[in-house]
Amino acid sequence: MKKSIMLCAVFLLAATMVFAGGAQETEEKMTIRVAEQVPNLITPGVWDGQAFSLNGSIYDYLIEMDAHTGELVPSLATEWSSPEGKVWTIKLRKGVKFHDGSDFTSADVKYTLERTQDPDLGHLKAQDFENLDKIETPDDHTVVITLKEAAPTFNFIFTDYNMAILSSDYDYASKGESAPMGTGPFKLEKLVPKESALLVKNSEYWAEGLPKAEELRIYFVPDIDSSVSLLEAGQVDIVPQISPIIKKRLESMDGFKVVSPYQESRFIALADDREPFSDNRVRLAFKYTMDPEILAKACQGTLGETIFYNETPIVNALAQYKEIPFRGRDIDKAKELLAEAGYPDGLKVDFFYASDHPYGSDIAQTLKELSAPAGIELNLKGFPRDIYLSQHWMNGPALLTGWGVRVDPSMLLMLAYHSEGPWNESHIDNPRVDELIDKIRGEVDPEVRQTYYDELQQIFHEEGTVINLQVPYLVGVSDAVSDYRQPLTMLPQLEYTTIK
Amino acid sequence: MNTYLLQLKRSPRAIAGLTILLLWIIAALIGPSLLPYTYTGMDMNNQMVGPGEAGHLLGTDALGRDVFSRIIYGSRSILTIALLTSLLSSIAGIIIGFTAGYFGGIVDTIFLRIMDILMAIPPLVLAMVVLGILGNSTIVGLTIIVSITYTPATARVARGALLTCKSSEYVDAARIRGESHLYIMFVEILPNTIGPVIVEITARFAYSIMMIASLGFLGVGLQPPTPDWGMMVIENKSLIRAAPWTVLYPSLAIASLVIAISLFSDFVSKVMINED
Amino acid sequence: MDFLKRFAKRLGFTLLTILAMSILIFFLVEIMPGDVAQTVLGQSATEESVAALRDRMGLDDPLHQRYLRWAGGFIRGDLGESLYMRGVQINTIFWRKVGHSVVLAFTALLFYVPLSILFGVFAGVKEGKAPDAIISFIGLATMALPEFVSGIILITVFAVGLEILPIASIIPIGENLWQNLDILVLPALSITFVMFGYVSRMQRSSMVSVMKADYIRAAILKGMPRKYVIFRHALKNALLPTITIIGMNMGWLFGGLIVVETLFGFPGLGSLTMSAIKTRDIPLIEACVLFITFIFVFATFITDMLYAFLNPRIRYKRGDV
Repeated sequence: MKKSIMLCAVFLLAATMVFAGGAQETEEKMTIRVAEQVPNLITPGVWDGQAFSLNGSIYDYLIEMDAHTGELVPSLATEWSSPEGKVWTIKLRKGVKFHDGSDFTSADVKYTLERTQDPDLGHLKAQDFENLDKIETPDDHTVVITLKEAAPTFNFIFTDYNMAILSSDYDYASKGESAPMGTGPFKLEKLVPKESALLVKNSEYWAEGLPKAEELRIYFVPDIDSSVSLLEAGQVDIVPQISPIIKKRLESMDGFKVVSPYQESRFIALADDREPFSDNRVRLAFKYTMDPEILAKACQGTLGETIFYNETPIVNALAQYKEIPFRGRDIDKAKELLAEAGYPDGLKVDFFYASDHPYGSDIAQTLKELSAPAGIELNLKGFPRDIYLSQHWMNGPALLTGWGVRVDPSMLLMLAYHSEGPWNESHIDNPRVDELIDKIRGEVDPEVRQTYYDELQQIFHEEGTVINLQVPYLVGVSDAVSDYRQPLTMLPQLEYTTIK
Repeated sequence: MNTYLLQLKRSPRAIAGLTILLLWIIAALIGPSLLPYTYTGMDMNNQMVGPGEAGHLLGTDALGRDVFSRIIYGSRSILTIALLTSLLSSIAGIIIGFTAGYFGGIVDTIFLRIMDILMAIPPLVLAMVVLGILGNSTIVGLTIIVSITYTPATARVARGALLTCKSSEYVDAARIRGESHLYIMFVEILPNTIGPVIVEITARFAYSIMMIASLGFLGVGLQPPTPDWGMMVIENKSLIRAAPWTVLYPSLAIASLVIAISLFSDFVSKVMINED
Repeated sequence: MDFLKRFAKRLGFTLLTILAMSILIFFLVEIMPGDVAQTVLGQSATEESVAALRDRMGLDDPLHQRYLRWAGGFIRGDLGESLYMRGVQINTIFWRKVGHSVVLAFTALLFYVPLSILFGVFAGVKEGKAPDAIISFIGLATMALPEFVSGIILITVFAVGLEILPIASIIPIGENLWQNLDILVLPALSITFVMFGYVSRMQRSSMVSVMKADYIRAAILKGMPRKYVIFRHALKNALLPTITIIGMNMGWLFGGLIVVETLFGFPGLGSLTMSAIKTRDIPLIEACVLFITFIFVFATFITDMLYAFLNPRIRYKRGDV
């Protein structure tokens, strides 16, 4: 009996060694493998629709962005113009087909745009397209959009990740999550929801020579560490949205590099509609406790090189940015201001953030440390991102939220800093700010617009409700990968990527 | 009491367990005031330095915080919650289990079935679902939920212990005397069942620590920057190659505490149950 | 005859437990705070779209109606539609993952049961001597490590250090589990550590008591070879409590699966549950938790029956359930 047990043990050990062989790749086609976070809903326009590698590959957009220059380039739209920003004429590309063989026509554009107003959907761009008066399709390849009010930079919205062009004949309501379909460089061959997606080259893609790779495999991995382990083990090639700590880890190893295709913002919002931050003195006091160098180090970066600090929602990479020097950390001044505002013994305030988002936890804890000496006690309340966004965001006295940059800053200002903006997380209600934003939106002359931007940023510095920490969006990539492109739209352009 | 102490002296494992446990308790009580660093202090010039460097006994983590200090501070929350949990679940379990066993009949049957049903969900799964949906935990929330998951098991043990005493003479004597039910349960029976009950409490203590650490690992532990040992492990898991001390020492802390309690609990079980 | 009666009674009670559990799970999950429709649509949703979704999902129906709808579907084998993947039936993803977890659990059982019995017997037979002390201590130490701790140690040693096993347990697209059996090893070992502790200790102590029994000592005194006595007589009786422990610990095994699968990224029921909880996908959470409970209750039931069958004292006696 004992002998047989011994034999079993030996057999087990032997079996283990055999199985340690590992899987073998015997394919010769160029396959790119990406490990992404597990998405919620993947249909564009619906919350959260952030399966970027997937959507950027199976869909096309009217206008895309050059990943290097940031300029708008034609995609499904070949030309667009508007004399005064009120009537937009868009010419569409000919000869484009959807993956199911149907032709791409102006009817599809009309369908995609009108879909934003569907009350059942809760489309994320619903507000932006409320300005739509009518859409006309004089022929199969022309769309004429008339807006209720002029918006000279309206075309920028077509680059947004929610505005993938959908087929008017396809039932996205029931198939959008299991068999989505578009005109993009890759076709979806197999989707295992929440697990993986297999995409193959769209051989009828309208762009000459693209996509370069033949196959795209996307794995949805819930744990970022597992994704990175897969990268290290050579089982995937690209891992987007890594944290700065993982960046350190990859940089210390051979065979990997970390690219930062663009910067993101982390907005620290101080709510203007409730205590304590409704008093600008308290807001200033908080700002006086900031130390950008330490914040940068907490994000594993260097201030001025990879991390930037400012107090306006406009990032320094944009032409509209105005440099306003940091006021400097001054704990005594902070205490003075607090006392003036009625908090001589300091104050306690809840601080909400998404605990599993890169930089979130690090920034929150650093803020707590930095503001403590002045008597400001931050009561950290971190939640998984889903719960944070659906229950606490827009609902707290102080918040930390990740924001993508909008190439046209007026879009972001409308969204979040206009008193009526749908995502006005800091509940700012400043008439002059509202006025300036409205003026910016309607102003055709860029120089006049800039004067408004300048004034706006000055106001933000003096009495604003936001601190903007610019952090790099990081992607871990194996050295075998070339030409990974991901513009500010957050949509990777995997059609250009090759792998050795 | 003296016999217990004598037996204690003869068991080196029990002594080892008890010593480690006491060391942690002392660390939790006075440790923080003796430490040069706070558990949130960020020494930005020394991020991720190894043990022994720059004055940090066990190194620092990615935010420059001293690992040793965080472990010592963390002992407070884990010991407090584990202690509260084991006490709470034991008290609740005793009350429920005694009531069921004492009154017997239909009360007993109902209680038994309810307890069986509650025990049908693995405790970690139950705690994870509740806390996961709520989003995170506070000390109070964690204590209550973990206690609830453990109460049924304790109730069963208490009930079993009561049943062995129910028909003894002193109980009959008390009944004849006309003492109230409560009196009989808690003045006559309880002291005689203290053995298994104490074993239960110590066992629960060990399980609570493991459960709390695991919940921290699954992301529903205490809020940062509270140095919850389980959360320290998961926060620093990415650093396992670059800075293994940030993961290793909190893991060892968890292990040492659970082993210590288990050793002691083993001893208590041997001594108090008096089984051969 | 008695055995059959016992069997029927226990089976009945088991089914009742599952029914009661389903009610409990349903209510627990449904009364949790947070508006489900709001969560699905996100913060920017309008009041109307939230109301429309609530209507479509039947969220405003009375609780018992919703329960019956859900339970009814379940019995028919329809696990419902996932909240987060409109149009995707839970069935399509669920069973594959359950299959994976079953294989993982089985592998863990394969590892730890023979090992713990072997070492438990050995320690029990050599009671008080060096091998006993060593094995007992190892058992205690491994028992004290939560699965994620032993998992991390295993990863560090085998995956990072020696690089002979994969760090993460992912199945490449287009392949299945059977082509990637190496991903099972480390997660199964993590579970094995904890289980080994429990079972070997139990086996040891039951072995010790059996060795002290009169009939065993009599057999040895009569001159029968020790090894013969151990394996032919003692072991059989010593195994009984061990079987109970293994069965009872199935519950813990399933709790451990959540931790282990999360740590290794293993595509099983545990990680599905975690991701369901993280995305607050209510129907999926309910399906996962109910299934885990179902397995646990059934494992207990089978263990009970196995024990009753094997233990002659119970088999032939009129006993209370």
